[in-house]
Amino acid sequence: MEIFKKTPNIDFLKFRWFALALTIAIILAGILNMTIGHGLKMGVDFGEGTLVRVMYKEPISVSAIRQLLDDVGLGDSIIQESGKSGREFQIRTVETRTTSQTGEEIEGHQILANKVISALQSKEDQQRLAQGMIDLNNIDSRSLTALLTEISAENSEELASRIMTYRNEHGIIVNWDELKKEPVSLPDEILNKLQARAFLGQMTVLSKETVGPQAGKELRKKATQAVIWSIIAMLVYIAFRFKGIEFGAAAIFTLSQDVLICLSIYSFTNREINLPIIAAFLTIVGYSVNDTIVIFDRIRELRKTMRKEPLEKIMNLSLNINLTRTIITSGTVFLAVLALFLFGGKVINDFAFIMLVGSIEGVYSTIFMSCPVVLWWNQLFGKKKKVRK
Amino acid sequence: MKKNVKWKIGLTLAVIALSIFLIYPPKEKIKLGLDLKGGTHLLMQVITDDAINVETDQQIARFEEVFKKNNVTFTRAAKEKPGQFYFEGISADQEGKIRDLIDEYTRDWDYTLTGDRVNFKLKQPAEQYLREQAVLQTLETIRNRVDQFGVAEPIIQRQGSDRIVVELPGIDDPERVKNLIKVTAVLEFKLVKAGPAPDEETLLQEFGGQVPDDAEIVKGDPRRGLQGYYLVSKVASITGKDLRSVRRGVDEWNNPAVSFTLTPDGARRFEQVTGQNIGKQLAIILDERLQSAPVINSRISDSGIIQGRFTPEEADDLVVILKAGALPAGIKYLEERTIGPSLGTDSIRQGLLSGLVAIFAVMVFMIFYYRLSGLNAVAALILNTFLIFGALSYFKATLTLPGIAGIILSIGMAVDANILIFERIKEEMALGKNAGSAINTGFSRAFTAIFDSNLTTIISGVFLFQFGTGPIKGYAVTLICGLVANLFTAVFVSRLIFDLTVPTNAKKLSI
Repeated sequence: MEIFKKTPNIDFLKFRWFALALTIAIILAGILNMTIGHGLKMGVDFGEGTLVRVMYKEPISVSAIRQLLDDVGLGDSIIQESGKSGREFQIRTVETRTTSQTGEEIEGHQILANKVISALQSKEDQQRLAQGMIDLNNIDSRSLTALLTEISAENSEELASRIMTYRNEHGIIVNWDELKKEPVSLPDEILNKLQARAFLGQMTVLSKETVGPQAGKELRKKATQAVIWSIIAMLVYIAFRFKGIEFGAAAIFTLSQDVLICLSIYSFTNREINLPIIAAFLTIVGYSVNDTIVIFDRIRELRKTMRKEPLEKIMNLSLNINLTRTIITSGTVFLAVLALFLFGGKVINDFAFIMLVGSIEGVYSTIFMSCPVVLWWNQLFGKKKKVRK
Repeated sequence: MKKNVKWKIGLTLAVIALSIFLIYPPKEKIKLGLDLKGGTHLLMQVITDDAINVETDQQIARFEEVFKKNNVTFTRAAKEKPGQFYFEGISADQEGKIRDLIDEYTRDWDYTLTGDRVNFKLKQPAEQYLREQAVLQTLETIRNRVDQFGVAEPIIQRQGSDRIVVELPGIDDPERVKNLIKVTAVLEFKLVKAGPAPDEETLLQEFGGQVPDDAEIVKGDPRRGLQGYYLVSKVASITGKDLRSVRRGVDEWNNPAVSFTLTPDGARRFEQVTGQNIGKQLAIILDERLQSAPVINSRISDSGIIQGRFTPEEADDLVVILKAGALPAGIKYLEERTIGPSLGTDSIRQGLLSGLVAIFAVMVFMIFYYRLSGLNAVAALILNTFLIFGALSYFKATLTLPGIAGIILSIGMAVDANILIFERIKEEMALGKNAGSAINTGFSRAFTAIFDSNLTTIISGVFLFQFGTGPIKGYAVTLICGLVANLFTAVFVSRLIFDLTVPTNAKKLSI
């Protein structure tokens, strides 16, 4: 099967000024948006603060949650619904309001996180907790085993693990009947005793992450360092393998614009930058460098046989020969990432989103940006020998 | 040719067998990161200044004693900051004697004599050593405490100069563990001189409002229902270091308590102190908070109990921290993440589902587009996945969400390698070559591109591994494993499959 019956003959380099203008336009828009616009949102990994994920028994609206948080003075937290059931939310608090004198800011964030959690609990649940009752939707397996042992269940460990497995799979236990049925099959007698000591809270905490300002700053610094060093290493290797700094520079220019364009597009969404997103950016860079090298490899090869031809023509030919491959490769990657985007769940969704953008953008940058940079570099720094016009 | 093929088949089968051996059973062999299975991640900083402070205080006390013993006069000794202190009011004619004494008693401190003062400063290497030791001991103590508490497969690692990372899978109630790790757990037994009193002034009335030289004030621990202030002796009779064993016990009212036995040396001192002070109160102090102050009824030698209205959990936790020993320095939490198990379960399920869908979609496409040759690519792809997981299991690496991203990138590049080769073969066949020689040139021409792109990415992966933290490292590991595997499967194995299935003189190829 073929996409093109014969090798296409498109003059890609003709569009180089247009492409440059488009790139600059997108990046400028992004930079404007990041600096004076609505800005790039730093996630809990790089900014400071807390991220709490919760799940409710019954669907509840974002505004209802905001009301609850507003009552304790946290109304300006970022509240996002995750999942499709209307029962799961993530709440991000940004500021430390309780920074203590001792400089233990993280303790302040912790207090904040706990404040969020207690604000979201219903009054009834809070009363029950105050009475010393135990919330089955927030207990850990260790304490559950201890509780079951206390109310004289014989195989408490096994029962506890059955209840926990059930809760882990469903996120939250909605009513007691669920525990009577398969697969938990709690005996009536134990269930009655359990009901006397415990209740099913209306909300469960799925995760709670707190990063202090110091750690946030360090994570940011280390991530930046890692990225910069790996880019420098790539530059050196490419320059060495393709016997010319212009190829290394072009590859680095291409991948920098990949990152900037994706970052710009990302800044227009409501998504946050976290460590996995950095991994996604690195992946985009990886693909882009891969693509660029494939083209450069063909240029390197054709230069040996077409010594008399101008570099521009060789470049166009290389791009055209590899067009099928470029499309198929990005197509398969797009396919794979689309699966992640659709079925990967909330944790991976931001990651998949930026990968989708990156896999399309990568094709654009390979075809329209990588080769022109070599030409521009040669024009600027004059390697006239190689550019025979 | 035939002979050549034989060792290639052998090698491929051996690699397959090895990776299956490494992966099986996957539930045990593939370690999942906390983001996938749930648990608690704690990053803390050891406050190494504490260790320097302790050393400085000890040094001051020591020289006070040495100077007094040798009749060196001084008016005041004081700490300027951690690692720096001075003695004031020395007389000039004792200078030689002071120099001799300092040279005799310490090598770790620089000192200068100016006027009536002698300034001490901790030497750089000694300070470095103390800080290093504080971190190492803290690491060890935390490890002991976590082990005693009983967490399966905890990760406790040093990170950088003064950071410690603790990862506790399956713990979703981190508060208790956090407190357990954080308490310094300095246990001291001291004689009570006065108290309890509602405030410090009342306490010091009978001493003329001044704290006596050999005493200090401690507060009762509110958690034990003790609110007042106590005046206790400055020197501890015995400390946590003198404990030989501790276990959960009960006091005379059957309340949870902690019983202990002492080392022979500690027992001797304890016997002496209790023997001489019958009828007085002995304060049991944990982290500068008085837990209880029982009256000494008789001479006690090598065992006793610590009581103080503990809950059963508190008594258990106290046993754990006393067994593990005290922390040499305080710690500060920088980062805390708790991923509940249900979120982890969700992530695994969805990650697995989407991963399978992704691989399946790619495979279907490859077979649809490249026909039988696509089948070849699919075989290479499956083998590649096996190799990645085999390598992960071999290096005992943990699989995290960013790690999955690394796998996707390497699988994408594996498919790309096949595409590059196949497109090249098509090109060669379009030039009129027969299948055999087209395969030959296809592989050898495509190789440089595959090699360069994979190696470039591997190089960047190595740097990411070197400089990155947690998740970025996880990404780098899977990426490097995947790309190395890729060079083997896409180039070597794929070629072998062609060699085995396509006759050398074949005219046509299903591609």
